[in-house]
Amino acid sequence: MNQLTDAQGLAPAEPGSIARDPFALELIKNALVALADEMALTIYRTARSFVVKEALDFSTALFLPDGQLIAQGTCLPFHLGAMPFAVRSVMRTYPGRIRPGDLYITNDPYDGSTHLPDIVLVKPIFHDGVLLGYSCALAHMTDIGGRIPGGNASDSTEIYQEGLRIPPSRLWRDGEPDDAMFRLIERNVRVPDKVLGDIRSLVAACVVGEREMKILADRYGPGPFEQHCRDLLDYTERFTRAEIAKLPKGTWRFVDHLDGDGLDPKPVRIEAAVTIREDSMVIDLTGSSPQVRGAINCVYPFTLSTALACVRSIVDLAIPNNAGYFRPIEVIAPEGTVVNPRMPAAVAARGITGIRIGDAIFGALAQAVPHVLPACGSNAPDVGISFGGVDARGESHVYLEFLLASWGGGPDRDGMDACTGTLVNYSNAPVEMIEADQPIVVERYALVPDSGGAGHFRGGLALERHLRFQVDRGTLQIRSDRRDFPPYGLAGGGAGAPSNVSIVRAGGKEEACVAKFLTTVDKGDVLRVRLAGGGGHGDPFTRDPQAVLHDVREEKMTIAHARDAYGVVLAGMPLAVDASATHRLRAKLR
Amino acid sequence: MTTRIGIDIGGTFTDLVFLDPSGQVLRAKVLSTPEDYSQGIANGLAQAVEQGLDIRAIAQIMHGTTVATNALLEGKGARVALITTEGFRDVLEIRRLRMPVLYDIRWRKPTPLVPRQLRFEVPERVDAAGAVERALDEAAAAAVVDRVLAEGVDAIAVCLINAYANGAHEARLRDLIRARDAQVPVTLSSELLPEIREYERTSTTVVNAYVLPLVKHYLESLDRKLRERKVDKSLTIMQSSGGAMSAAAAAERPIHIIESGPAAGVVGAAELARRLGGLSLLSFDMGGTTAKAALVHEGRFLRVNSLEVGGGINIAGRLLSGGGYHVRAPAIDIAEVGAGGGSIARLDAGGALRVGPDSAGAAPGPACYGRGGTMPTVTDANVILGFINPVALAGGGLPVRRELAEQALQAEVAGPLGLSLEDAAWGVHRVANATMARALRAVSTERGRDPRSLHMLAFGGNGPVHAATLARLLDIKHLLVPPVPGLFSALGMLFPEVEHHYVRTAKQRLDRLDLGSLEATFASLEEEGAQALAVEGFAPRQQRFERLVDLRYAGANSELTLPFPAAGAAEALRDHFGAAHEQQYGYRSDDEAVETMSVRVIARGGSPSQVPERLSLSGGTSRAATARSVYFGPQFGALPTPICGRADLGAQWTQGPLLVEEFDSTTVVPPDGRARLIAWDTIEIELE
Repeated sequence: MNQLTDAQGLAPAEPGSIARDPFALELIKNALVALADEMALTIYRTARSFVVKEALDFSTALFLPDGQLIAQGTCLPFHLGAMPFAVRSVMRTYPGRIRPGDLYITNDPYDGSTHLPDIVLVKPIFHDGVLLGYSCALAHMTDIGGRIPGGNASDSTEIYQEGLRIPPSRLWRDGEPDDAMFRLIERNVRVPDKVLGDIRSLVAACVVGEREMKILADRYGPGPFEQHCRDLLDYTERFTRAEIAKLPKGTWRFVDHLDGDGLDPKPVRIEAAVTIREDSMVIDLTGSSPQVRGAINCVYPFTLSTALACVRSIVDLAIPNNAGYFRPIEVIAPEGTVVNPRMPAAVAARGITGIRIGDAIFGALAQAVPHVLPACGSNAPDVGISFGGVDARGESHVYLEFLLASWGGGPDRDGMDACTGTLVNYSNAPVEMIEADQPIVVERYALVPDSGGAGHFRGGLALERHLRFQVDRGTLQIRSDRRDFPPYGLAGGGAGAPSNVSIVRAGGKEEACVAKFLTTVDKGDVLRVRLAGGGGHGDPFTRDPQAVLHDVREEKMTIAHARDAYGVVLAGMPLAVDASATHRLRAKLR
Repeated sequence: MTTRIGIDIGGTFTDLVFLDPSGQVLRAKVLSTPEDYSQGIANGLAQAVEQGLDIRAIAQIMHGTTVATNALLEGKGARVALITTEGFRDVLEIRRLRMPVLYDIRWRKPTPLVPRQLRFEVPERVDAAGAVERALDEAAAAAVVDRVLAEGVDAIAVCLINAYANGAHEARLRDLIRARDAQVPVTLSSELLPEIREYERTSTTVVNAYVLPLVKHYLESLDRKLRERKVDKSLTIMQSSGGAMSAAAAAERPIHIIESGPAAGVVGAAELARRLGGLSLLSFDMGGTTAKAALVHEGRFLRVNSLEVGGGINIAGRLLSGGGYHVRAPAIDIAEVGAGGGSIARLDAGGALRVGPDSAGAAPGPACYGRGGTMPTVTDANVILGFINPVALAGGGLPVRRELAEQALQAEVAGPLGLSLEDAAWGVHRVANATMARALRAVSTERGRDPRSLHMLAFGGNGPVHAATLARLLDIKHLLVPPVPGLFSALGMLFPEVEHHYVRTAKQRLDRLDLGSLEATFASLEEEGAQALAVEGFAPRQQRFERLVDLRYAGANSELTLPFPAAGAAEALRDHFGAAHEQQYGYRSDDEAVETMSVRVIARGGSPSQVPERLSLSGGTSRAATARSVYFGPQFGALPTPICGRADLGAQWTQGPLLVEEFDSTTVVPPDGRARLIAWDTIEIELE
């Protein structure tokens, strides 16, 4: 019979004994996850910018003194595994000099962050003078200075063009803010109230993390607390390995592409090879394009996060997000490639590359578990809009929004129309909020009929958004993708409809646009963005004609598309499937 | 003519509580009758008559109902058409894009309540300031109305872009509808919820239209059937906000009664807190499948301004919305987790014990019920520990088979882990507590409140069983168990005042505040409230109005709702907001601009509470002195524990261990705690 210790704090545990108390794991896990979520809620409720509050582009985490992640908030999946790099950068920069009352900042993609707009704060947590761990919070700033409003330009060629670069530094010292650092940021960004407001909300989150982690350590005693955390990591590793062990063994490959590097429209290759071993995995991105001149290079921490987030979707969702989950998964990304660039490559628009890395990994994994994963969606932000300038009153405005649409068809279901995917968990900016806060009128935000990839289970529909600008001489920067290489289908399903961007000038003339560009817009000009549709899954000629009829009734599909893409003939009033004509047409089209 | 009835209709049981001015409480618990809920109510009345109730003495009936919620959860609401601005037909379906869970490729978003072919666009446009940018195209609008009516829908929702700033086009569309059809219910977003954010407003408007015909029919038929049974007094409905409204008002604006059941328990908790001198407490309501927590601050509960229906139970839902149907209507701030007596315990692939969120429900129920359940549940663990009567529950009405609980726990938990049954049961009990602690934290620490400074009020069938061990986890020292803990929600129905909530977006910077226009907005909302109260029979002198304003740092995500001061508005607001922000989020930044987002008016009718000073329970049976062995964890081990009834407790402290058994719950007093009876027949427990 095992001796139980009471994790409610009545009897401190002996180090090493907790592995024999399976309940302590659940209790400590619950407490840590709740705490990381509480930090996230603090940011969510107090942040200023659209991109933080509506796109949830932020994350929170807690670490052990050695930099191992013990909990991550329910935030942006893309950040899973990226924040340990920030903590390690701080530890490396300030060896032996990390003191109570300190709070560190970095946004250097080559030293703790993943692009300049992501500011990361790291707060060491001391308990009676002994380092207990770190709380950490990260958010995407609306602006970080540099040549283009919004800090996401895809056509920069060096990191020096991309804005203010802050190496790991003290933001607070002895419990007091470093005014110089705040002033430096204030002078370098276009919308300092939003940026400093967001930084304050990160500070608040770190303070919550510190306060509550100390309470936890008090409850268990600092030594047993750390031991419980280490046991939690071991448990998580065991759990992850057990899940990987259930997967088929072998190596699967997939290649996807980006529509150009931001300057040159030549395709950029992303290759993924997934190897599943007995209870571990290797994800190898060798074969991906060398690093590019434009700003879509993706630094290793972001590549790693993406790969870890992908695997998360095919294992038990109950696995905690901590360093134990990372251990059985190796991610290889050769240096000097678009998936692991060298300094001083520009990296601001690395998000789009992260998405494509995810699509390639999912494409490889889908061959391993074809009954689980859907075809490629357009459900990650393939299109980014930055619009900024100075209005008639002389006030700067910056509007930054990332758009996404729909899911690919799955092995047993249609792709969801209009829903975020698993790599990001973005929300959209409400039309009425945009119009109340920005010199913009939204003219249209709607599903696009016929745009889902054809399949036994069809892809989700594309979305379109039309923005009319209300000021002259605004800078508009578009980073779109999925035009030349639309979201792929699986198992015989078709690709989704490609994306498109155009501008209707105030005079009425419509200008076609390339996928990634920078331009000036004036009052009355209308930006028309159409996202891609999701890929289809399976043979469209086996799709239930009644499902096709349902789509046509819902006006998500035209009668012509039903005939051409699905071989389904609809006729009559009320509309019905003509079964024999459908049978004949399908036989002919096959 | 002075007895008041609170009626709480749940999925399994219909609870009735009767209160007369002397504080005499009668209670009845009968099976719900889903085919005709009024039948269950009649059965409950009959049961009360047997206990001595005089039907003619009934003065008022207060009712909480899940009929609106069930319509949404089961997709059985009305066939609704939606009319919106050209270019925005899909707002309802696109939603906010977000998923309520991360990484989950199996998740499905809820089906839109209005299918695409019933969502119609009209050419028109109002800008963010309320100016008409494009006039409503009358011919096109008339054609749309004709098409809508030709579809033969049950109800129509109208939500145009920026209608929160100017509802003229929506009103015109209703005129066009009324010119052709005098009957079909029409809900306008600019009347129901003139508040910014088109998805939230559209969804709320559509939900209202979707449940309206059903709720109206239900309330009318309930009223009729009660009258047939000689109960002809006014029917009042509990709102999610903790107020009451007349059945007629609820039938027009059913979005306000969606969470009426859970709200009632918190209203009761707040009333009790006021009775006890304005206590601040955490209410903890643990039932069979979920546990709910709410904060009562100095006798007042707190509200949020929106809720989601049908999103499943997910504590992260406070962070990740999008799981259900969004309703922007005031509701008591309640956090809910999937842990209750029926929650199932099992080991995961990593070897850790997990409890819930899946539940054995009412059928098959916990293993110990002997109805075919084979998975161990929290109730099974509590039976093994001795917390719950190992022979029978519900005053003897429900037999319990301890050996079945032991078999299930042995097979699923104790055996695989090599633990004794008691240790395994203790583990299940604690892990359930860890989950429930998240709900309690969500309404305390996440709101800037330290739970250690609060009392905990435990109710629901399982609340008093877990209260003491859960309190330990949060370092709470003072516990309260109210009278009729298992029927406390029905009791809570007796306390609310009639109230109506009104909101209108009024976005202004505090440093450029136009007090005149705010005053005009407040006045017009109060006028709306006065009219609604007058219809319900409240004379002007019985009407009271509370003015509130939503404030935020310019551009922040969430607003804080504060009272609107009578004088010196801008400066006072700035100051109050800074203080509130600091309390809630830990910082204030006085150099940042503050803006108003919306103004709110709560219109209340009637005199404050008619609650008696004392409560006395009939049938507070004293039990013969018995005892059983109860396992209180490794620190204390198994101890012989006396069992008593509530009436056996006095004003003097009784040292634990002790079990207070009643027909609807068991209160556990641990060895390091003591208990006594205080005002309102409430058990107070103090932990060392």
